[in-house]
Order: sequence, then structure tokens, then C-alpha cells
Amino acid sequence: MPRLTIDGREIEAKAGQTVMQAARDHGIFIPYFCWHPNLSVPGNCRICVVGVAEKDGGEWVEIACNMPAAEGMVVFTASEKVKARRKATMEFITLNHPVDCGICDKAGECTLQDYHFEYNGAASVSRDAKTHATKHFDLSERIVLDNERCIQCTRCVRFTREISMSNGLGMLDRGDHSIVRPSPDGAFAKDAYSDNVIDLCPVGALLAKDFLHKARVWYLKATPSVCPGCERGCGVNLWHRKDEWKLRSPRQAARNEGIDRVTPIENPAVNGPWVCNKARDLPRLFGRVRATGPLFKGAPAPCEAAVLEARALIAEAKRPVAVVSSWASNEELAAFKAAFGSRFALVAKRDHEPQPGEVVQDDLLIRADKNPNAAGVRAVLGECGTEVPKDADLVLVWGEGFDFRAVPAGAKIVFLNAFLAPENGHADVFLPLSIQTERSGHYTNFAGVTSRFERCFALPPGVLHAEELFGSLVGNGRGA
Amino acid sequence: MKHLIPEFERMKARFPAGFDSSLVLPCLHRIQADRGFVADEDIVGLCEYLKVPRIQVEEVLSYYTMLRREGIGKTHLQVCRNIACSMRGAEDVIEHACKRLGVKPGQTTADGKFTLSTVECLGSCGTAPVLMVNDAYHENMTLEKLDALIAGLS
Amino acid sequence: MPGRQLIMNFEVTPASHTLADYRARGGYETLVKALGMAPADITKEVTASGLLGHGGAAFPVGRKWGVMKPNPGEIHYLCANADEGEPGTFKDRWILEHAPHLLVESMLITSYALGVRHAFVYIRGEFDLPYRRIQGAIDEAYAAGLLGKPVPGSDFALDIVVYRGAGSYVCGEASGLITSIEGRKPYPRNRPPRLTVKGLFQKPTVINNVESLANITGIIRMGAEEFRKVGTAKSPGTQLISISGHIAKPGVYEVEYGYSWAKFLDEDCGGMLHGAKMKCVVPGGISTKVLTRPEIENLTLSHESVNPAGSGLGSGGMIVIAEGTCMVRLLQVLLRFYHHESCGQCTPCREGMGWMHRIIDRIVAGEGVPDDIERLYAISHANDGTTICGMGDAAGFATVGILNKFRDEFEYWIANKRSKMDGRLECRA
Ligand SMILES: Cc1cc2nc3c(=O)[nH]c(=O)nc-3n(C[C@H](O)[C@H](O)[C@H](O)COP(=O)(O)O)c2cc1C
Ligand code: SF4
Ligand code: SF4
Ligand code: SF4
Ligand code: FES
Ligand code: FES
Repeated sequence: MPRLTIDGREIEAKAGQTVMQAARDHGIFIPYFCWHPNLSVPGNCRICVVGVAEKDGGEWVEIACNMPAAEGMVVFTASEKVKARRKATMEFITLNHPVDCGICDKAGECTLQDYHFEYNGAASVSRDAKTHATKHFDLSERIVLDNERCIQCTRCVRFTREISMSNGLGMLDRGDHSIVRPSPDGAFAKDAYSDNVIDLCPVGALLAKDFLHKARVWYLKATPSVCPGCERGCGVNLWHRKDEWKLRSPRQAARNEGIDRVTPIENPAVNGPWVCNKARDLPRLFGRVRATGPLFKGAPAPCEAAVLEARALIAEAKRPVAVVSSWASNEELAAFKAAFGSRFALVAKRDHEPQPGEVVQDDLLIRADKNPNAAGVRAVLGECGTEVPKDADLVLVWGEGFDFRAVPAGAKIVFLNAFLAPENGHADVFLPLSIQTERSGHYTNFAGVTSRFERCFALPPGVLHAEELFGSLVGNGRGA
Repeated sequence: MKHLIPEFERMKARFPAGFDSSLVLPCLHRIQADRGFVADEDIVGLCEYLKVPRIQVEEVLSYYTMLRREGIGKTHLQVCRNIACSMRGAEDVIEHACKRLGVKPGQTTADGKFTLSTVECLGSCGTAPVLMVNDAYHENMTLEKLDALIAGLS
Repeated sequence: MPGRQLIMNFEVTPASHTLADYRARGGYETLVKALGMAPADITKEVTASGLLGHGGAAFPVGRKWGVMKPNPGEIHYLCANADEGEPGTFKDRWILEHAPHLLVESMLITSYALGVRHAFVYIRGEFDLPYRRIQGAIDEAYAAGLLGKPVPGSDFALDIVVYRGAGSYVCGEASGLITSIEGRKPYPRNRPPRLTVKGLFQKPTVINNVESLANITGIIRMGAEEFRKVGTAKSPGTQLISISGHIAKPGVYEVEYGYSWAKFLDEDCGGMLHGAKMKCVVPGGISTKVLTRPEIENLTLSHESVNPAGSGLGSGGMIVIAEGTCMVRLLQVLLRFYHHESCGQCTPCREGMGWMHRIIDRIVAGEGVPDDIERLYAISHANDGTTICGMGDAAGFATVGILNKFRDEFEYWIANKRSKMDGRLECRA
């Protein structure tokens, strides 16, 4: 294991590490644009230069991201020589960059903006007009590209070659005319992981159309969560308005309770640093119209009465069957088990199935089971049946995706669901439930890794938490 | 492009196994020699044949100066304007060619007979100025030789 | 004749490039000798010869080969660099056109030494006759059973593919060349890894200039000791010099290292065009710094003489410049070229080349400011040793070389909005 000195600190690098990797492992910061821990090393931005002491007392500069850490090496990350080089590189990078941070969605999260302040800070020394490139190019229906802001780090291009393997993007032409473009065969539009390039882009060249000019990032806060899009259960941050930045006008109030964007949380055991586009579309999934009140056969009912009615139906049933949601958290499942024990015959349900056009399964992240917690159901409740027994006289349906034709004739139906759906009205008793963003809990993914999600929003009026509800569904008949 | 596949197969046989991606450039050369430029359908066919991603071929095509996506005039006049040729009168040659043909570098004459281009050093500086007429070098160019050349091809 | 000759040592006739003529000159006899030697001994001989690469950097050929450890069963590649893109250079073309079999024989010997089964000749796309000549020679060699199957009397076999470029200067840079052969956009690569460790398709690859390789046959035929008797101790052998510009007899000359530079120009090359006075000379391709006539007066054509003068023999592309030539316009041509050829991969070169080009265009348009000269220096320095391939450095050297010596012409143009020299590049009678 090579021992080297960085800025006077002696560190031990792992075999085969570069100076960049070794420095990071020891909390020493070296700036970078093109380097990314999960991508190949093109060494093209040249911002990561460091000085290396020579035997004769001199110092040579070389990029840290491609320099193997070697025994006895003495490295400087901020010598005068290094600072001058870095400043020159920043001058080059900003030469033809518009520096339009004021109208850029990346502002606040932009590496270029940070480094410009840190390493250059000076106004442009160029007397020549900036070159112009396409300002607003539709890379796909999801992403817009601003070629003037692009610093040609090729992270996005490499992502589509090395990670998503769509080969959807390329760097066309040469020299300072080089330009990021999508493959004309539409490979990028079909790339189920395309939105990762937005996070990868160190500047504001790649932006999500869904998020375009929606909010400055400092108005938002990130709540850690788990994508329920499939049984991978990728770690995600759900971004929504901070309390102090809630919109006041009644017309916009709905946006306060919505997710503005979704970004990955790196988790080597689950998703690495990536998520698929389905996670990015969670705002739409969670934003569907909600069921806001209990129903008796379609007629609005007071909450207390509805709960009592459900409890009575359960108590009276001889052969009750529960169709369990694979979107339920481990906590909800445990509450169900604690409340009912073996009262129900159990059927496991896939709340969601692959949609037409959706990638069913691949080698990167996406799994065929489009539900977050099938493994949790098995772990908490044991093996469940797959079909509703023909002799059931009560069916408790928990969550979406159930085909009500499977309910035996004459059996009563208690339906717990979060969203507005025609089926809600068919149940003898319907109770509206909370969604993931309104509670915290855990999911267990297909590989047995359990991840936690946090609450983002308060419970809307009229909606119940399953975790609390199950206790009140146990008891005798209609009496209290 | 499909009719060239037997030729591509013979080219492939000369390469080591597993070098299919290497054939992108030689195949594009061959396609261009055949059609005069590389059309979209050629690219699609080539990607299918070599099993290379479309974007790879697009990048290659956009990068190299000798490859074209559109047709040009019957005769391609390419005048070197790098250092040695400029020191031996290339600037006059270019000016004269523009006047004679009534076009600017990069343009094609209205009758489609000539396309005039300027290029960088052709590796023939000892016989400067140099002009390429389609694939052939014409060295030690003079205005008189140029006039005769154009007259002969008109 | 500027000293002894090792490569241009036969009479060029309409048939001198053919296999029959080459054989009549003793061609392919050295191959037989080489195949009787142990591969490692060939590398040893080449190392002992002190042969320096002719692609521009004068890197010792033996040292490069030494990195390749030919393991039977492991794949290695050899590429002959026939891209000849450095402006002012046209000497590999001479070998390709007139001595193609010398290259083929040398590549056979080299491949045998390095455990190579497949070799490439990477030739610039514009070369037509040179392409037909080398392809023709290779076809002849295939027909004669020298390529494609074991060379008679041995179990060594080699295939050679001629790979044509398509218009790009950086394809002459060794790693750009390799990426080009891989059928991708020819981005040069960072080192490490060295190409002799991970080259073409990640396999160890040796890339040598055509002229470097052409010397191998001679070295093995005569032995390192004899070879070293030609040239000087530090610059063994000869160099093909392609000379152009304002010189009376431009062309390719084989010069024995150590030959007087002034004598070469004044006698062998017939002196200046139209009897003009010499202003300066680009010694070895535009990426080497210009030297004035007084500076070269007492120099010899050898690395040990030219390098201390602050320049180098580079690729042997010598451009002679007469008094009266406008150095501002000259630099404009060079910067336009570098801007045009930057692959755009790394920041300093991608942005710097365009910036310098815009500055020089602005100066020539009469809109220069005094600060522009410092800016050109700063951009050049910011490209020195900071780029992926040598292109950024090269542009910087060329610029600094001209600014250092002819700053007054730039200041004049900026102050007076016109050339101090009438803006001429040509040398008229
Ligand atoms: C921008 C650039 C262009 C180059 N062009 C050529 C070229 O056209 N021909 C060549 O032989 N070497 C060229 N080189 C040098 C090669 O990278 C490499 O060093 C050489 O081919 C090695 O051969 P040698 O060791 O036999 O000299 C170029 C280098 C750079 C940086
Ligand atoms: S768009 Fe962004 S990620 Fe892609 S090359 Fe440009 S700066 Fe890099
Ligand atoms: S792979 Fe599955 S869990 Fe991960 S982001 Fe995509 S849908 Fe969500
Ligand atoms: S120095 Fe220039 S030519 Fe070389 S890799 Fe960088 S951008 Fe490309
Ligand atoms: S981070 Fe090292 S060159 Fe870009
Ligand atoms: S400068 Fe024109 S051929 Fe070299």
C-alpha cells in the first residue's frame, strides 16, 4: 500500500488508487468536473491539477484523477503553481460560458458556480465576444440542453455508454464546436435512466423539463425516501417546499403539498448512485387525485361510523380474507399482524404491474415486480396465497390493483385505498388511507435490504393511517 | 450500402477477429466513394451490419473533415492553405480559383461541376502550392496551370 | 549530398518501388537474418543502435520496445505512423512512395521482435499515391508468401492492414491514432497507461513513425555498431529532412546527423529562393520554435546541437522563411490550423486554440490591443504540459517561439493597424 503525503499529511492509499481517490478517502478535497467515482476517467477538464514535488526541489503539475498514487509521492493541492493553473483553467472554462446563474436552475448546486468563486473570481479577461451555441435544445421529452452552458466534461455521454448502455448521447464535431447531441435513432429518449445525466451534469446544461424554472433549489428541502416503483427500492430524496417558502396565493397552494423533484440517494447496497426515470416521475404518481372521505356503498359516510361498520363486518365474517398491499410499510404490516393475528386468510397482491412501454427488468436496477415491499409482506406475514378462496364471505382489500371480479358472490367488501377510483364506490365500506409521503416507515427490497422513508407532508383531513386504523378494526360488532 | 457488403466482408477478413468496430472508417470511405457522400440509410445499414451504436458513426462522421453527409460538385478542388503553400502563393491560387469559378471556398458552382474547398497541410509542402483534384495531388500549382486544369474539366 | 545515406540510397526509377527491384537491392534478406535471431536480441540490437524516433519527439525506439514483454499467446500490436500531419513534413511520403518494401520488411522484423501477429499502417486519408504504393507493396508481399502465412523457413506470420485516416491532425498523435483505428472519434488518451501497456483495444501496442521503422532493416542488416558509425554519438544515423518554404531546392533530403546546417541550406538546398535573405527557419515541423539565421549559423543538424538553441529537429519538417515575410500573418496561419485541428477534448486546448485564433484575427483586422500579446503568451503557457496530448503544447511552443523573436512586428501591427512587412507570406522575385 503506497504511502504518500498530501499537503503535509501522510496518508496510505489503497493499491491501484489514483491521487484523487486516495485524497477523497482521507477527506482531502481536490476539485473536479469530469471525474466521477462511477464513470471512466477521461481527464479532460484539467481542473484537478495538483503539484508533485520533484527530487531537485522543483514541482510538476499533473491531473490528480489519472495519477496513480505512488510510494513516497509528495503532493500539493494548493501551491502557487497549482493555483495559477487552476485559475487559467477556470478562465478557459468560463471563456464561452454565459455565466447566467441568475436565470439558471442549477444555481446553488452548480460546481462551476462554486469553483468560479473559489478559484477564479475575476471578470473575464477576454476581449472577444463569446461564441454561441444552441441555448435550448430538446434532448428528449424530459430533458433540455443548453449548449452554451455545457463545459464538455462528457459525463452525460459516458453515462449513456458505461452505465445505462443506451449509447443515447454523443459529442459531435470537434474543437470548440464540439456539441452534445442525442443519437438520431432516439436511443436517449428510450433510455430508462436518462434523467441521471441531469444530476451528473456539473453545470446547468442539462435540466429537467418538469422542474424548469419551478423553484430555486434553496426554497426546497429534501426528505429521504424510498422509491416504490419496483422491488429494488432505490434511495431517493423527495424535494418539496420549505415551510418558510410555502406559496401564499390560494391558486398555487396545492403546490406546497407536492413533490417538486426527485434525486437519488447513493446506496451501494441497493442502487449505487442512480435511479431510473420512474423515480423522477413519482410526483405524478403521488399527485394523483386522492380519496378524501369514507364511503358506504358509494355514499359519503362519517369517519367514525365507517370504521365501526368495517369492524362489525370483520367481526361477523366466518371466512374473512385479507388481500394485502405490497406497498404497505413493514410498520403497517406489523400493525396488521398485531391487530388481527390469524383472523384472516391472507392473499398477497401486486398493487402495480408493468405498464405498456415500461422496462420490465434489466441488468442495472429495474425489477419486474413493480411494488416496493413484497419481501416485507413475506417477512412479516409469511407466505400468503395468490387467489381469494371461493368460500370467502368477507374480503378486506388493502391498496390498489385488485380485480374485484375475484370477490365471491355475496361476500362483503371492505376497501382501504388512498386514491380516487370507481371501485371505491363498490365496497360495502371504503376507508381512505395515507400515502407514502404522509408517513414514515420501512420497505424491505428483493435482496433483503431494509430502507427507511420519512414523512414529507401532514396527513390531509379525512385520511387515515393504516398503522393506527387496524387497532380500531378489532372488536365486537357495532358496539363500542 | 447493402451491395457493398461482400466487399466489406473481404475487408473484415484482413482484420484480426473482433475488430468489427474498426471497420467503421474504412466502410464509410467506401460508401462515400460509391455514393459521393454518406446518406442516413447508409449509416443505419452500417450500424446494423457492424453492430455498432448509431452515435458512434455519427461522431466519426461529424469529426473527420474528409467525410460528407451531402453531395458535392463533380470535381472537388481542394487547395492547401497551410504555411508552406501560403508561402508559395496559395493565397493567390485560392483567390484566382474563386474568381474563375465564381464561388467562395466551401461552395459549389451553379452547374454542379466544381466544389472549391480550402484544406490544411496535405503533406506535400516541398512542391507547394498543392491542389487536390478529387483524389489526386497537383503540385507546384500556378495560376496558368490552374486555368488549364479548370478549362480541361469544364 | 549531406552525408551518408541509409534510406535514400538507391536510384529512384519507375520500378524501384516494386518487390522485384527491392529484392534485387538485397531486399528481404535481412528478414531471413532476423528470423534466425532470438526476438529479444533484435530489440537489444535496436536499443544498442541508439535509434531515435522520427515522429517528432526523438524518443529512443529501443526503450519503447523494451516495455513490451513478448509473452507467447498474448496479443500485441504494431502500428506504423504514416499520418504525416505536421505541417512542413512530407518525408514519410517519400518512403511510402519509393521504398514501401523497406517499410514492410522492417515491420516484419519489428513484429517478429515484439511478438506481433497483426500490424497496421495508419496513413492519412488525403495520401493517394502513397496509399496505393504501400497497399501495392503489401499485396505483393502477400502474393510472395511473406505476409498472411508463416514466412518460409519459420513459424512466424504477420498480417498488415493499411488503415486510412479521414482528415485529422490529432490522428498522428499515437493514442489518437489508436482510437481512430478502433473506429471511434479519435480522442487522444491520457497516460498512464502507456500504449505499450494498454494500446489498441487495450492490448500492448508499439507505435513508431514510418521513418523510425524504415531504419530497422538497416540496423539489423549492418548491426548496431556499424549503424552508430553514421551520424554522431548522441544522434546516431540519419534524418530525412523535408524542406520547404523560401528555399531554392525544396524536397526531401537524407541528412547524416552532425552535418552543418548552414551548408545544408546554402549548398545542398541551393540557397534561398530568388536569392533572398533568410529571416528564420522552422527546424522540424511548425510545433518547433523558429530560429533566426544568426542562431543557426554554427549549428549542426543533430539533436545535441539544435536542442540547446531552444528548439528541436522534431519531425524534420524544415520551413525556410525569407526576410520580408510577415510573422503576424504567419502565426495567423498556424493558429488557424491549430484551432481547426484541436479535437476539443481537453479544456486548455479546446478553448485556448479558438481564443488565440480570434485574437490573431482581430490583430490582423486592425483591432488589436497591446494586451493581446501578453494574452497570447498566457494562453500558450496555460497549454504547456496541461493537456491530454501534445497538441496544446505544440501550439504554445510555436506561438511563443514567434512572439519571442518577432514581437516588434506584432506591436507594429497593433499600433499602426497594418503589417510592418506588407502582410506578405510569399517571397517574390
Ligand atoms: C498533435 C500531434 C500530432 C502528431 N502527428 C504525428 C504524425 O503525423 N506522424 C508521426 O509519426 N508522429 C506524430 N506525432 C508523434 C506521435 O505521437 C508519436 O510520438 C510517434 O508516432 C512515435 O513514433 P517514433 O517514436 O518512432 O517517433 C504527433 C504528435 C502529436 C502530439
Ligand atoms: S451537458 Fe453537462 S454533463 Fe454533458 S458534457 Fe456538457 S457539462 Fe458535461
Ligand atoms: S429501479 Fe425501481 S426502485 Fe429504483 S428508481 Fe427505478 S422504479 Fe424506483
Ligand atoms: S490537447 Fe487538444 S488535440 Fe490533444 S486531446 Fe486535448 S483538445 Fe484534443
Ligand atoms: S477531474 Fe481530473 S481532469 Fe477533470
Ligand atoms: S502546407 Fe500545403 S502541403 Fe504542406
